[in-house]
Amino acid sequence: MSDRILAPPPGLPAAPLGRAIAWMTRRPTLAVGLCLAGLILFIGFIAPFLYPPDPFAIHPDHALEPPSWAFPLGTDELGRDELGLLLSGGLATMVVALPAAVLAFVTGIAYGLAAGLGPTWADRLMMRLLDAILALPSLIVLIFFAALVTLNDTSLILLLGLISWPGLARLVRNETRAQRGRDFVLAAEQMGAGRFYIARAHLLRVMAPVLVVNGTFMIGDAIFALSALSFLGLGVQPPQVSWGSLLESGLNLIALDPWWLILPPGLLVFMSLLAASLTGQGLLRRWEPGR
Amino acid sequence: MTEVLQLENLSVSLPRGRTGNVPILDALNLTIGAGEMLALVGESGSGKTIAALSVMRLLPQGAEMSGSIRLAGTEVTSLDDKAMRAVRGRDVGMVFQNPLAALNPSRTVASQIQEAWRVHQGGSVRAARVRALELLGEVGLPNPAQRLDDYPHQFSGGMRQRVMIAMALACSPKLLIADEPTTGLDPLIARQIMALIAKLRREHAMGVLFVTHDLSVVEEHADAIHVLYAGRSVEFGGAKEFFAHPRHPYSAALLGAVARLGQTRLHNISGQLPEPELRAAGCRFAARCAYRQPECETAYPPFSANGGTAAACLFPLPTAGTSHAAPPELPAAQNFAPQLEAQDLTVRYAGATKWFGGGSENLPALRDVAFALGRGECLGVVGESGSGKSTLGRAVLQMIPYEGQVRLDGHDLAPLRGLERRAQRRRLQVVFQDPRESMNPRLRIGDIVAEPLRLKGGLTAADIRGRVTALLGRVGLNPELAHYLPGSVSGGQAQRIAIARALAAAPDVIVLDEPTSALDVSTQAMLLNLLKDLARSDMLSYILISHDFAVVSYMADRIAVLNAGRIVEMNETASLIAAPQHRYTAALIAAAPQLRPSLR
Repeated sequence: MSDRILAPPPGLPAAPLGRAIAWMTRRPTLAVGLCLAGLILFIGFIAPFLYPPDPFAIHPDHALEPPSWAFPLGTDELGRDELGLLLSGGLATMVVALPAAVLAFVTGIAYGLAAGLGPTWADRLMMRLLDAILALPSLIVLIFFAALVTLNDTSLILLLGLISWPGLARLVRNETRAQRGRDFVLAAEQMGAGRFYIARAHLLRVMAPVLVVNGTFMIGDAIFALSALSFLGLGVQPPQVSWGSLLESGLNLIALDPWWLILPPGLLVFMSLLAASLTGQGLLRRWEPGR
Repeated sequence: MTEVLQLENLSVSLPRGRTGNVPILDALNLTIGAGEMLALVGESGSGKTIAALSVMRLLPQGAEMSGSIRLAGTEVTSLDDKAMRAVRGRDVGMVFQNPLAALNPSRTVASQIQEAWRVHQGGSVRAARVRALELLGEVGLPNPAQRLDDYPHQFSGGMRQRVMIAMALACSPKLLIADEPTTGLDPLIARQIMALIAKLRREHAMGVLFVTHDLSVVEEHADAIHVLYAGRSVEFGGAKEFFAHPRHPYSAALLGAVARLGQTRLHNISGQLPEPELRAAGCRFAARCAYRQPECETAYPPFSANGGTAAACLFPLPTAGTSHAAPPELPAAQNFAPQLEAQDLTVRYAGATKWFGGGSENLPALRDVAFALGRGECLGVVGESGSGKSTLGRAVLQMIPYEGQVRLDGHDLAPLRGLERRAQRRRLQVVFQDPRESMNPRLRIGDIVAEPLRLKGGLTAADIRGRVTALLGRVGLNPELAHYLPGSVSGGQAQRIAIARALAAAPDVIVLDEPTSALDVSTQAMLLNLLKDLARSDMLSYILISHDFAVVSYMADRIAVLNAGRIVEMNETASLIAAPQHRYTAALIAAAPQLRPSLR
């Protein structure tokens, strides 16, 4: 039996490129998802520093021009370079969406573990509270709070982060309840393990696949939620731009048919969601083939 | 006698990984006559279930089969799918190990039996219902008329198995295939099911192919035995001759590994079943055989009969006077200083809470239980499922709330809180029934064994590694296993790892909750011997919980018999078996496999 585990799986070509291609053809969903995610991260974090022109420089005599050599994705109604704006907007989107997703991720896990490991009355209370939060449409709540506070990166991170954790919290709580009666958890308790140890060493480890998958979904959701808010004018504030606000300003001019202002930001938001979704699905299929 | 099943040179290979098919079963020949019960015996991995499934042509996709299968004279290997569907159920009935999984939970038992009948015989629902009623009566279900419209979950495990048998009998098949139908049932119930199958095959002149890993189950009723090892027959013949004088060393070892009342040392079969890819050209048992000679490994030995059963062995055991050397008597552990005491131990599980009725109804699972456990003593706790024996273990381990007292070295454990409680609980360890369930599947084995050491603290990483290596060695495992995940080891190895982990906490008492009931008999023997040796060398005390009276009698110094949450009898093992005082104890002893006269 041990020989079989140690030996490399047969039938794999030795060359690294060939091996990569073989890996991708076995898991097309995951491969496409990871490629898209890499592309989006590149656009958000690296491309802004590789593309020198100042996105906010105004060229009044070049307003609303379609793509050309000078302006690869055309210009907006103020004559600003659309590609530069998209890249800058990407960075602004990432800077808010990623920390917000992390915040939601951590909050959801902590709340779920606390409810799942706590006494029954605390669990009931926390779950009913969660039901109440989940009953409210999150976009409406988001708009409500966005109208109340001053909008900057920090407040947006907090808003988005604190609005999108309940789904994960419920998932973690249910998994915790299901796992905490299992024999290996009982055995650990018998060895003197406390709740924190059990949560860290056993529960989170068993749940790891589900958590990572949901984490990827949350990043996609955060990008989408921020874009939606920005589209409504409640997200990233001018003069800074984001994909949502760029889409909105393009749509305002729709009568003039400026496709280069509408299609690229829309496609980028769509690609982010697709990247998160495919990566998550791919990981899920790899780790839990039964589901 | 007409033959209902004839297998000739049946070979099956199954797809495995990307490497193509691997042979699982090689050249099996067997014949079952009408009214005859043949027991196909082997450990897990021997190919016995695959043999049963190929008769029904229910092999997994990609399986390749060669040879001939004749069912009541008809060759079924060449039938098309439609003709085969007609054969299943009509000519062959099948009973599975887990009746709850084999019955549809959302339909009444009557509708499921009726379906089995109407698919083949047609006719009205009314006629089918009459037939269902008749069948349920025949399999000994009490008040069949009232229970026709009950759902599977409303029946106990034994009753469900009776319903399954009724379904299999619906069209009066010529052959009944029973795949471990009694595994997982209490010994008392298992005996009743065995007796029922034996009675039905006589009354209906039906052949029975009884697949099992446990020889003791079939000793009483089987007419013929066929033993498989690593995909090949090693011995076959009449059951009487077989149980009196097994001739193949493997069969003899398998018989010796079955725990029976009154035995002092179980026979180990050292080593493991070879993986299908690594099967030797010669005798497949040679690597583990005590009588091995060089010529055993050149070619598969031919069958030789010589009066008794036919054995595929060049050096079969003689038919008269088996050569089991009596193992030396071990000194009994003595002078037990009381270490763990329980008094008025009562556990109530909350019943359904009434929202407006006020309060809830409590059903006691354990009532006023009292016992004392000496240092180095093994107390056996036996009883049927639902008797409260697992609850007893859990209460002692402080896993569940209880009333009454549990004292360790004279100190009551219930009032303790915080770190003091954790420190005392650590002295009580547990080994669960299912070794895989008791380990986090994502932790490496080294980390699993190291867990109690890490939790205790005060050790360097190098210290811990050294201790883990030593612990794995003590339970007879290769320390290299520390780098593997639990999913890659066998059930017996996994249970050893669970024992190593319990030992790592340096406990005084270990609660063994059915530690061997998920294991094959040969593995069970090794594990019980290991536990016995550890108890002696470390002065460990055990509470051994089991439904298997023979296992408990082998291990325990004293036995407590639990029925409906109360201890009905508690005594020294030998006295309890020799002179049971309670009717219930006597019934449990009668259901346990007895020591054969030849070994006594």
